[in-house]
Amino acid sequence: MEIRLSSVFLAAALLSGCGWFHRGEKPPTQVAAEEPQGEPSIVEPQVNRRVVKTPKIKAKDFELGGYFGALSIQDFGTNPVYGVRAAYHVSEDIFVEGFLGRSRAGTSSLEDVFPNITVVSDTGRRFTYYDLDVGYNVLPGEIFLGRGRAFNSALYVTVGMGDVKFADKDQFALNFGMGERLLITDWLAMHLDVRDHVFETALTGRTKNVHNIEATLGLTVFY
Amino acid sequence: MRRLLALLLLQAFGVGLVHAKEQLIEVVVAEPYLEMHSGPGRGFPVVYVVGRDEIVTVLYSRTDWFKVRAPRGQEGWARRSDLALTKLTSGEPAPIPPYPDFATHRWELGAGYGVFNHQNLVTAWGDFGLTDSLDVELVLQQALGTIDNRYIASLGMRHTFIPEWRWFSPTAGLGTGYQYIDDKVPPKPLQTGNQLAYVSLGARGFITRRFMWRADWRKYVVFTNRNQNEEPEEWKFGLAVFF
Repeated sequence: MEIRLSSVFLAAALLSGCGWFHRGEKPPTQVAAEEPQGEPSIVEPQVNRRVVKTPKIKAKDFELGGYFGALSIQDFGTNPVYGVRAAYHVSEDIFVEGFLGRSRAGTSSLEDVFPNITVVSDTGRRFTYYDLDVGYNVLPGEIFLGRGRAFNSALYVTVGMGDVKFADKDQFALNFGMGERLLITDWLAMHLDVRDHVFETALTGRTKNVHNIEATLGLTVFY
Repeated sequence: MRRLLALLLLQAFGVGLVHAKEQLIEVVVAEPYLEMHSGPGRGFPVVYVVGRDEIVTVLYSRTDWFKVRAPRGQEGWARRSDLALTKLTSGEPAPIPPYPDFATHRWELGAGYGVFNHQNLVTAWGDFGLTDSLDVELVLQQALGTIDNRYIASLGMRHTFIPEWRWFSPTAGLGTGYQYIDDKVPPKPLQTGNQLAYVSLGARGFITRRFMWRADWRKYVVFTNRNQNEEPEEWKFGLAVFF
């Protein structure tokens, strides 16, 4: 009996000690225990429930970066193009992507032959576009560099639409693309892309669909 | 002095490391083994295997794959379904976040194609679910026509009739917005900016994981300062990601 009593007291002392160590935390909520009348409670538990906070696993599904390359504007020569891109990877196969790019057209062959003719004004030579695409990783795999190095990669196709502003006019454009993503590390990727922006225009006399093919090299970061 | 500085640096670095380590989840392999692939995809080869009762650190995720570090420092990608079978060091199941539930998802981001008054339309939207069946939608769109180019921003409420129907669920909406007209061909429009209101009917459905489709028909009333209001129609179809 005595041993039991002393162990109860020891437990009480320990618990109150624990309470002392946890004094910086929120005070324990008082639980009004219903004690049977006449029997005083021996131990009042004052132990706080430990709050275990499990850290969240960071999802790195977004990709953001820029690109640079050459854009062949139909009838207006090939010119440098640059832009920014952002993607969200929905699954290991599907991703959605947005592009914002800019280039500047050269002169058409008509303007080269007859220098007095102006097909497009100087401000109208600016070629800007945005695209909203859906992409599919067709051929995922690894690329080997020598014996000891392998980079994850994927060949993908994209299809989408957007707006091309050229000759001071906004046109609805469809775009079809194909590209290779090479992951230098798990968070840094290099892209090689070929994309065609197709839209209807009557700039050179008759209404036709023009194909503006661009080849770009890009760098993106996963975060 | 230099030694003190080195010590301080070491301390700071050490603290940083400890701090970085505290942020990551450690899980114990409960199955006979856990396979680690060389890349986040089903075809990448298995490059390392962690045995039962060994602890792996989960670094981050990409789509359905989790980058993990084995006890001896080897890193690789583990499949979501495999990692979900591991346990925390306390014995609880590993907190691998489940897919967002389609019927009760909160956020949605999407884009698509449509036709506004016989003009090509590029549309993008953001959607916040107040309840399972009532959403607030913000839609930004550009209608590219031969005569003009319109930018339309609208804000409205949408009701999903039977949100628990996964593959096809009808919707109806109501809202207001503003359009800005950028003319391509003269003459210039009398008003370049108008307020508008709309009613919509549509449908939505689940495709896979966090991917969905949405189709919408809208009837607008564009308020003009002329005697008659414009009443253009629009339909659109798009794909969205939900969170």
